[in-house]
Amino acid sequence: MDNKPQGSSPPPKPWERAGSTSSGPPPFKPPTPGSTSDVVEASGTSRPGEIVTAADKSAAVSRTPLARPVPSRPWEPNTGMNTYGTGVGGYNSGQTYGSGYGTSGMYGGGLGTTYGGLGGGLGSTYGGGMYGGSSMYNRGGYGGGLYGSGGGMYGGGGMYGGGLGGQMGGYGMGGMGMGGMGGPYGDQDPNNPYGGAPPQPPSFWISFLRVMQGVVTFFGRISILIDQNTQAFHLFMSALLQLFDRSGVLYGELARFVLRVLGIRTKPRKVHPPGPDGLPVPGPYNQGNGGGQHYIEGPKAVPNGGNWDNVWGN
Amino acid sequence: MPMFKTPFNGYSVKFSPFYEHKLAVATSQNFGILGNGRIHVLDVNPAGGPMAEISSFETADGVYDVTWSEENENLLVAAIADGSVKLYDLALPPAGNPIRSLSEHTREVHSVDWNPVRRDSFITSSWDDTIKLWTVDRPTSVRTFKEHAYCVYQSVWNPRHADIFCSASGDCTVRVWDVREPVSTMILPAHEFEVLSCDWNKYDDCLIVTASVDKSIKVWDVRNFRVPITVLNGHSYAVRKVKFSPHRQSLIASCSYDMTVCLWDYQVEDALVGRYDHHTEFAVGVDMSVLVEGLLASTGWDEMVYVWPHGTDPRAP
Repeated sequence: MDNKPQGSSPPPKPWERAGSTSSGPPPFKPPTPGSTSDVVEASGTSRPGEIVTAADKSAAVSRTPLARPVPSRPWEPNTGMNTYGTGVGGYNSGQTYGSGYGTSGMYGGGLGTTYGGLGGGLGSTYGGGMYGGSSMYNRGGYGGGLYGSGGGMYGGGGMYGGGLGGQMGGYGMGGMGMGGMGGPYGDQDPNNPYGGAPPQPPSFWISFLRVMQGVVTFFGRISILIDQNTQAFHLFMSALLQLFDRSGVLYGELARFVLRVLGIRTKPRKVHPPGPDGLPVPGPYNQGNGGGQHYIEGPKAVPNGGNWDNVWGN
Repeated sequence: MPMFKTPFNGYSVKFSPFYEHKLAVATSQNFGILGNGRIHVLDVNPAGGPMAEISSFETADGVYDVTWSEENENLLVAAIADGSVKLYDLALPPAGNPIRSLSEHTREVHSVDWNPVRRDSFITSSWDDTIKLWTVDRPTSVRTFKEHAYCVYQSVWNPRHADIFCSASGDCTVRVWDVREPVSTMILPAHEFEVLSCDWNKYDDCLIVTASVDKSIKVWDVRNFRVPITVLNGHSYAVRKVKFSPHRQSLIASCSYDMTVCLWDYQVEDALVGRYDHHTEFAVGVDMSVLVEGLLASTGWDEMVYVWPHGTDPRAP
């Protein structure tokens, strides 16, 4: 027994049939009749197609003290990878016009879109997808790539928001100071009136930057997941530590690590093979415990006559 | 009871508002960290047994959420991890889909919700800290709401008011917005830790439920949001999603990183009225059918989708 849709509306919701049980008037302005776009436009708050960059966000007013400091994100300037992103932001805000053969020209001012480069007179590109701000993370999406380049220098790949790394191209090349070019790495644009040649394979640097972007995405998502689930992660880490602790590896490895950092090399612990006839070979490691095996739980021979200084050392 | 094994890890599940047997599932490869995504549209077999797949759509990045149009029974909107929002028309062959890809968010899109009152628009929330309002007739967003200081995990329309919605964010606040106002109309410092989910009460449009990393669920009255009406404790890890029942005013469903799906009645003393531990990994998606009272659906990282009536064992054959 299907609830057949009537016209283009779903069946009435249970709460619409029941009516409101609200205990008082809601603190909202009464709804405005009309379509959503009309209502928003009439209110003067409409900003179609706004793209928010990291720079915009930092300027946005939060209007409230937060309960705790918001953690930093791995794709933002104050963590590992980001010397990179900042550099590019700086470059972008310089509002460079590309010129010369093979450059599509950047005009972005950190806003995330590149308008138009000259393309060295080879036909214009549109929306090369350079992005600025400090984030190297803004991916996919808007303005991705050449749009109908006439000269065929980049093959006129052209994508409609396919977001296959157009920005990365611009970003990478710009950052490297090699002259920006919009990334024409999308599929052929069926709407391209010029029907350009197939896109060229990406250069080494662009592939490299794509890989780097993938790495940042990966750690970004991991960090958000850990954020979302602090306790489970904590439990996982403590279980791991406990496991190492139990197996007796933890402190030994820790000490070895510290010594290593200090520049003191330690020899890895060797297990001496049994001698002929299966008898243990006499030696410093094969005393005590009745036969050369080091049992985790077993009592350890005290080295150097009661001096514990070198217990972890080797 | 019906169940379905998805090739990727489940992220979200939604019943169709038009057909009681249709279910959309958002899934992502490798726990949504790296890889592709897939949207499944399933036919819930009311007689039990496995669910049948009606159609599925592949995406180049994980799918974190999906919603049905309230205006067109064949229209689906998906929130994709590459920052795009894609529209699918089930009436078209797979080659004709997606019918539209909207790329304005600069980070992962984490939720999408269709306006159930005016029915011509939807909102998306993203890790780029913004919420965007879209209408079907425009190729770009109508408006961007940028006030949150950290990832926005979910935003949900008020079920009785066409212009109001609320959003839950990692900046520990829940904000109430009116699309006609330039800034948010209310800021609830709802939890001490990140707020992962929120929903409106369907019968009292002043009540909001929120779920957080602090393991608690809180019910708020927007007319007096200094203190919560009630705090529900019972999950042992972060609560990933929370939802008010479409049929009973005080019933709440939640799912959590503790791998359970719980049902709560916030008005009674022993609020926890049901606990289902059928998932063997994080339970991250839960929904309650608008058309069949008591019918629940859930999905999780164990790649399973379950549909069951409240009070029965989801795993029962």
